[in-house]
Amino acid sequence: MEKVKLGGMKQSLELCQFDLRGQDSPERIVPRVSKLLASQKINIAFLTYNKLNNESHQLTILLNQCDFTRSSELLNTKGTLPRGWAMQSRKHVGILTVYPHRNPLKILGCVMVLWAAQSIPIYGIATSLSAISFITDYQAIDKGIEVIQNSFQLPDDHAPIKPELIYYQSDEVKRGKGN
Amino acid sequence: METIAVYWESRIKTYGFQRIPELALIELSCPISVIKALGDILTSHDMQGLRASFILAQGSDRELSFVFCLPEREGMGFHAHLEQTGMPTSHRYIYPVGIIFFHGPHFGDRYGIAETTFSAISKEGIEIIASGCAASSVYLILAQDDLDRAEQVLTKTFEVAK
Repeated sequence: MEKVKLGGMKQSLELCQFDLRGQDSPERIVPRVSKLLASQKINIAFLTYNKLNNESHQLTILLNQCDFTRSSELLNTKGTLPRGWAMQSRKHVGILTVYPHRNPLKILGCVMVLWAAQSIPIYGIATSLSAISFITDYQAIDKGIEVIQNSFQLPDDHAPIKPELIYYQSDEVKRGKGN
Repeated sequence: METIAVYWESRIKTYGFQRIPELALIELSCPISVIKALGDILTSHDMQGLRASFILAQGSDRELSFVFCLPEREGMGFHAHLEQTGMPTSHRYIYPVGIIFFHGPHFGDRYGIAETTFSAISKEGIEIIASGCAASSVYLILAQDDLDRAEQVLTKTFEVAK
């Protein structure tokens, strides 16, 4: 049977996840948390926000793993979160992003089926222009990639899956020799 | 290889704002133990003609809560099909909603994008129904009536690269 085609696939660096849940003042949570993290120059690599079925809202953010400790301290500081909001965190996660050629709904369903069969967890999903991003354990990403490569057809000349360039934002301009 | 980027922008650049109006939002929760069954439903033949403009899922309490945004007619079909399977229960159906989405250079690699976006929207008193920021894109799901105002405030806040 012909394999479903993908345009490509890309994995993230090692990340950490924070899930914030609460009912009161949901309109304040995303501006407040994003402002706090930006003030500390902490990048948010992934974000989802939604209302859950029990009237609570949930904000999920993924940050670089190296920012886990100071982000935990910031978010756990009394008064940071609106009253009644609770936080759970998870270290060592990653994002695998697939680029559907067509039929994103089918590809989403296929990955859910394939990963469930291999006990690869899915902690979150978000689609964007021509992409579907899956959050899973960082140590499971290689297995997740292998499963997808075996089940889908990638172009022969697809871009590297693992990040080759790592971008950091800095306020400092360092001048080297000859500059 | 590591690249250190220094952004000195008075206004953050984007590649422009896109909007998708007249959508239905369907939210459903699925126990993680039956995620495979939901995947089977999504890959079924009946679902293949559906064009979802946006999908997100969040994990909590051993469940995944999904949001699907689809054109209204397809949303009704999707909702009806899920009801027939007897699988997950739909918890919300909202119509009409709209999406504004945008992306820009190194979104996701640099801090400050989310803060700029959500602070601007919040100051205008616009409610965000759902949002997803992944792979350099920012997606905001709003009530249909808020699309114009949201686009105006975002256009003032960000710079559209020419």
